[in-house]
Amino acid sequence: MIAVGVGDSVHATPTTRGAQDVTTPVPPPPLLSMRGISKNFGAVEALVGVDLDVHAHEVVALVGDNGAGKSTLAKMVAGAITPDTGLIEIDGEPTVIPTPGAAHALGVATVFQDLALCDNLDVTSNLFLGREARVGPLRDDGYMEATARRVLDSLTSRIPSVRSQLSTLSAGQRQTVAIARTLIGDPRLVVLDEPTAALSVAATAEVLTHIERLREMGLGVILISHNMMDVLAVADRIVVLRHGRNNGVFDAATTSHEQILAAITGATSRRQSRMHALR
Amino acid sequence: MSTDIKLDPALPPADNERSAMGRRLSGLGGNAREYGIFGALVLIVLLFQILTDGKLLKPNNVVALFQQNAYVMILAIGMVMVIVAGHIDLSVGSVVAFVGGVVAVSMRDWGLNWVVAVLIGLALGALVGAWQGYWVAYVGVPAFIVTLAGMLIFRGLALVVVSETIAGLPNSFIKIATGSVPNWLGFIGKMDVVTLVIGGLAIAAFAIAQFRARASMRKHALQVEPTGAFVAKIVGVGVAIGFLSVILSMSAGGMPIVLIICGVLIVAYSFLMGRTVFGRHIYAIGGNRPAAALSGVNTKRVDFLIFVNIGLLSGAAAIVTTARTGAALAAAGNGFELDAIAACFIGGAAVTGGIGRISGAIVGALIMGVLNMGLSILSVDPSWQQAIKGLVLLFAVAFDLINKRRAGTS
Repeated sequence: MIAVGVGDSVHATPTTRGAQDVTTPVPPPPLLSMRGISKNFGAVEALVGVDLDVHAHEVVALVGDNGAGKSTLAKMVAGAITPDTGLIEIDGEPTVIPTPGAAHALGVATVFQDLALCDNLDVTSNLFLGREARVGPLRDDGYMEATARRVLDSLTSRIPSVRSQLSTLSAGQRQTVAIARTLIGDPRLVVLDEPTAALSVAATAEVLTHIERLREMGLGVILISHNMMDVLAVADRIVVLRHGRNNGVFDAATTSHEQILAAITGATSRRQSRMHALR
Repeated sequence: MSTDIKLDPALPPADNERSAMGRRLSGLGGNAREYGIFGALVLIVLLFQILTDGKLLKPNNVVALFQQNAYVMILAIGMVMVIVAGHIDLSVGSVVAFVGGVVAVSMRDWGLNWVVAVLIGLALGALVGAWQGYWVAYVGVPAFIVTLAGMLIFRGLALVVVSETIAGLPNSFIKIATGSVPNWLGFIGKMDVVTLVIGGLAIAAFAIAQFRARASMRKHALQVEPTGAFVAKIVGVGVAIGFLSVILSMSAGGMPIVLIICGVLIVAYSFLMGRTVFGRHIYAIGGNRPAAALSGVNTKRVDFLIFVNIGLLSGAAAIVTTARTGAALAAAGNGFELDAIAACFIGGAAVTGGIGRISGAIVGALIMGVLNMGLSILSVDPSWQQAIKGLVLLFAVAFDLINKRRAGTS
C-alpha cells in the first residue's frame, strides 16, 4: 500500500489538485478545519476556542510565545492529544483523531521537534522504519531504496546516498530525512514542529526549500516556528496564538515582522515603537 | 516572497551529488571493519601456526577447535542480537546448566528417546527465554537485573536438578557434539569425500548468493561494490572454506556434526538479521528506542522475542555442551555468558547497542577459541591464558573505539 502511495503523492497529486482548483466553481472545503478547539490540563487552559484552517497547496505557520498552545494544537492534529471540546473536519467531514495511527490513516504526517531517527541505520531504513515494504518474509530493499531516492529527489535534497548512515549526515540533511519520512505513505497534510531550530543558515534555507516543495506537491503544511524570518519567507498565512487563544490571522505577503511580533506578545503600540527603536 | 532562499547556492539535482567519491566511501565503511576482524583472525591463526610448529592446524586439532567452541558460537549468535538491541544476558551459562540437567534427566530417569530429549531441551530454553523476556519487555526491568537474577535462579535450579553428576547418556546423543558426518562417499587418498563435497557446496552457495544479491542491486540501479573487491571477496572466502574443508577431510572422522549445526545457524541468523524486517527492527531499537517506537515498531514484542531466541539458543548450547561432556554437571556452563559477550565485543558489537553482526560475533568466538587452543598447545598456564584473553578483549575493543573516533573526526 505504501508502494503506490508514494508515487502518487510525489508525482500525480499536484496536477490533479491543481485541475480541481481551476474547474470547481465553489472553493473546496479546507483540507483541515478546526473549530472552537479547547483543551485543559488540570486547571491550565492550554487552548480556548481556537480555530485553524489549512488548505491544500498552502503553508500555514503557527506562531506564538512559549506556552501559547502551538505544540498542543499540532499534537491534536497528529493524534497524540484529543481536544476536550471542538470540531475537527478533514475535507469537510467531521472526524476524530484519537491516535497517531488514526492520523496517519487520515493522511496526516508529523515531524516532531526531537527528531525520531535512528543514527545507526541508513537513510532508506529510516524513511521506511516501521513501514517496511516486504516480499514474502523478506524486506524489499530494492524497492525501498528506489523509492527513497525518488522521494529525496522530489525534495531536491542534497543527501549523497540513500545508503548513507544517518550518523554521517549533517543536521540539515537529517532534517531533510525527517521531512522525506513524512512523504512515505501518501500524506495530504504535513505538520512540522520547529523544523529549523538549531540549524545553520544554509541548512535552514535547505529545509525551507523542502517546505516549498511540499506545497508545490499539493500538500497542506502546518509549520510551527519561533523564527519570524523563516515564517515570513515560506508561509502563506500566519496564525498567531496567545495564551491559548487565536490572536489574529495574517497574510504573509502583506504583513510585517513587527505586526506579527505585536500579535504574539500582545504589545501595545507604544511598546511596539519602543521595540522598533531597539532594532 | 522567498527570493532570498532561492539564491541559496545551487541545490543541484541529487543524482549529481550522489557521486563516485561519496559512494565509494560509504560502500567501504560498512565492510572495512568486517574485513579487519577477519584479518585479525587470520593473523592469530598464522601466529600460532608458527609458534606451535604447525600443530595448530593439524586436522584433529581443527576439529577439536570447533567441537570445543561450538557453544560459544551458538551463544554468541543469540548474544549479539541481545546486545544490538541494547540489552545484555548474563544468565546463559546458568541456563545451559539447568537445561542440560533436565535433558540428561529426561533421558536417564524418564527413559525418553534422545530426539525427544533434545526437543524438550530447546522448548525449555525458549520457555526460560520467555520468562526473562516478559520481565524485560513488558514489566520494564533492565535486562542486566533480570538476567543477573536469572543467573542465580537457573544456577540454583540446575543444582536442584543435577544433585550429582548425571552420566551414562545414550551414545547417539553424545554423537551430536563428538560425532562426524559418516564417510558415505569413501576417500580420496586420506581425504573424506563427504567433507569435500560439503565444502564445495558451501563455496558454491556463497558465490551464488553473492552474485544474486549483486544482480538484484543492479536491477534496481543501485550502487554495487567495485568488481575487484567483489571478486576478491568471493575468491578469499572460497579459498578459506576450501582450505578448511581439506583440513577437516583429513581428520579422524571428517566433517564434525557440530560444525554443520553451527553453519546452518550462522546462515539462518545472518539472514534474519540482515534481510528481514524483524532484523531491521532490532537494529532500530538499539539505535534509538523512542524513535523506533514512534515510527510504529513494536519494541516490546521485539525485546520479548530476542530473549525467547537467546533462551532457545541457550537450550541448543546446553545440548551441545552436555553431549560433549557425556554427562550433566551442576557446574556446567560456568562463565559461558562471559565467553559469548566477549566474542560479540571482539567481533565489533557496540556496548551502546545498535551495532554488531552475526559474522563478527562468530569471528570473535573463533579468535577466542584459537587463542585458547594455541596457548594450550604451547602449554601456557591456564591462569596466564585467562589473563591474555582478557587483554585481547580490552585491546580489541579499544582499537575499535580509537578507529571509530578517528573516522568520526576526519
